[in-house]
Amino acid sequence: MPAIRLLELLILLAALAGFTGLLLRRNLFLKVLAMDVTGSAVVALFVLLGARSGLRTPILSRLTGPADPGLAIADLADPIPQAVILTAIVIGLSIQALLLVVITQLARIDPSLDASSFDPPDRP
Amino acid sequence: MSDLWSPGSQQLVIWLLAPYIAAFLVALLPALCLPLILVCVLATALLGAWLLLDGAGQQLLLLQQYGVSLSFDRLAGWFLLLNGLVCLAVWIEGRRQGWDRTGWLLLLVLLGALNTSFLTTDLVSLYVSLEVVAISAFLLILKGRTARADWIALRYLLVSNTAMGLYLIGAALVYSQSGSFQFAALAALPPGAPLALVLVGLLTKSGVFLNGLWLPRTHAEAPAEVSALLSGVVVSAGALPLLRLEQFSTAVIALLTPIALASAALGVVYALVVDDAKRLLAWSTLAQMGLVILSPAAGGAMALSHGLAKAGLFLTARHWPSRSLQGWSGRPLAWNLQLPLWLGALSIAGVPPLIGFSAKKQLETALTPPLAWAVLLLSIGSVALYARLCRAPWDLSPRAPLSWGALLLSLPLLITGVAFSAGGLTADGLLKSVTVLLLGVVLDQSLERLRWRERISLPQLDRLPDLLGGLGLIGAGLVVAIRSGFLPLVTEGAL
Repeated sequence: MPAIRLLELLILLAALAGFTGLLLRRNLFLKVLAMDVTGSAVVALFVLLGARSGLRTPILSRLTGPADPGLAIADLADPIPQAVILTAIVIGLSIQALLLVVITQLARIDPSLDASSFDPPDRP
Repeated sequence: MSDLWSPGSQQLVIWLLAPYIAAFLVALLPALCLPLILVCVLATALLGAWLLLDGAGQQLLLLQQYGVSLSFDRLAGWFLLLNGLVCLAVWIEGRRQGWDRTGWLLLLVLLGALNTSFLTTDLVSLYVSLEVVAISAFLLILKGRTARADWIALRYLLVSNTAMGLYLIGAALVYSQSGSFQFAALAALPPGAPLALVLVGLLTKSGVFLNGLWLPRTHAEAPAEVSALLSGVVVSAGALPLLRLEQFSTAVIALLTPIALASAALGVVYALVVDDAKRLLAWSTLAQMGLVILSPAAGGAMALSHGLAKAGLFLTARHWPSRSLQGWSGRPLAWNLQLPLWLGALSIAGVPPLIGFSAKKQLETALTPPLAWAVLLLSIGSVALYARLCRAPWDLSPRAPLSWGALLLSLPLLITGVAFSAGGLTADGLLKSVTVLLLGVVLDQSLERLRWRERISLPQLDRLPDLLGGLGLIGAGLVVAIRSGFLPLVTEGAL
């Protein structure tokens, strides 16, 4: 198996592990952390996607031309997924922060943060 | 396809950015709040109306091939008009409730993000705008300032962010296979895991079937104005991309049709049983969103008619004497609440000449006969559930304060309804709608007797583990459906 497929598989496994944690953990704080595991896996997936074609920084100097004349265009990393995931990292961080703020509020009601204690037992 | 510097496109970009700029200005200079919000909201509604009437549409690609692509078309027109009108009504009601500047800032950001999500046609811009929508909706729910509101908001953001994580994995897979983030690129790929992941994200955002189980409690517990925003427009931010994908590929229609019908049935059944009037409206939203995503040809009209009616209904909720449906028929409601309540209920029930009638007719003509019959059956259920709300006696004394926002929303129900159904009102359609209405009332009466005799209870479906499990279930179901060869069978016309 080529290394890149192996890495892709590991990343998808990490995303799955995050989702499983979200389902199975009872503690709200751990649930949010599990969500972050999924988020990190997504970021890693995009970075891997950018590195498929190569690892070199895709910047050509206008004055000197390509530093190495033998450098093939195929060695350059793909900047699109990297640029895209930057926004997603910021959004993920801010959502994480907001969720943690609300969790500190909820901790006043149930310090053990058991998710089931917040769901009211009433009928649908 | 035109780039940034073609005539007219600069104005469109300025129009798109205006709500965000206004949001900053409102935070800095609260005195400017009134003109800024009014300009942004009216500009949104006007552009929507113009796109609907003009119909030509324009594609805009900012910053070339990998940039942001926007589609100003008729389909987006329905949603923009809805967004402008609902935000206007919420602004009117919010002023009376004394919203502070944070509230206005969030309203403007929500307006801008919704506009972006209605227009964009690439997966990444859609992701960003949907997340901005989710964050501002989350903060608006927190305005309830109770522990219950905290929990509901937390649940909402947790589920929506998880779904959007799955959506991003889908987007990454699309890029790795086709080298593009455009909707068209996703639709051109053979159906597979990328499509399933993107659909799970969008279905969760639009509150459909098991992915939408977060919706009833969230919409019921939020403050009345916020519920109106959530049920009126926020859910359609996920529905419009689904409609666009359906336009591109019949495989998506085949995958979504069973889910949409199941959502409509689930929502109607639960709404017929619940005891709480706001919860009833919220379950009905889940049902109606299913109908919205059934067909790309009628989805815009369905979303507009449902959004206007539902936002109006939720806006009256603040002035109800009680939310409990037990004894609803014994508590008189003031006439100025009854008027928007009845108009909204009748419109969703599909009574001419309200817009709900013409939207439903469009939907029935767009569907194959068996599906159209299924929709007709479901509308009997929705008549029955709104009949529960219309049972309160009228109080004709002019005591209660007029709910201008709700009245403002019921006006376009009538105007656009008359405009659209003027040519298409046939004896056949009229007969059908009267029959559905009568059957619905009969169903309601017989169910009411049953409700008195024994308390009907259905399993509680909206605890946090159920919501997350729903995501997994629908995702796995979509993958299995794609892999098992269900698709070619359906796209050949078996359904």
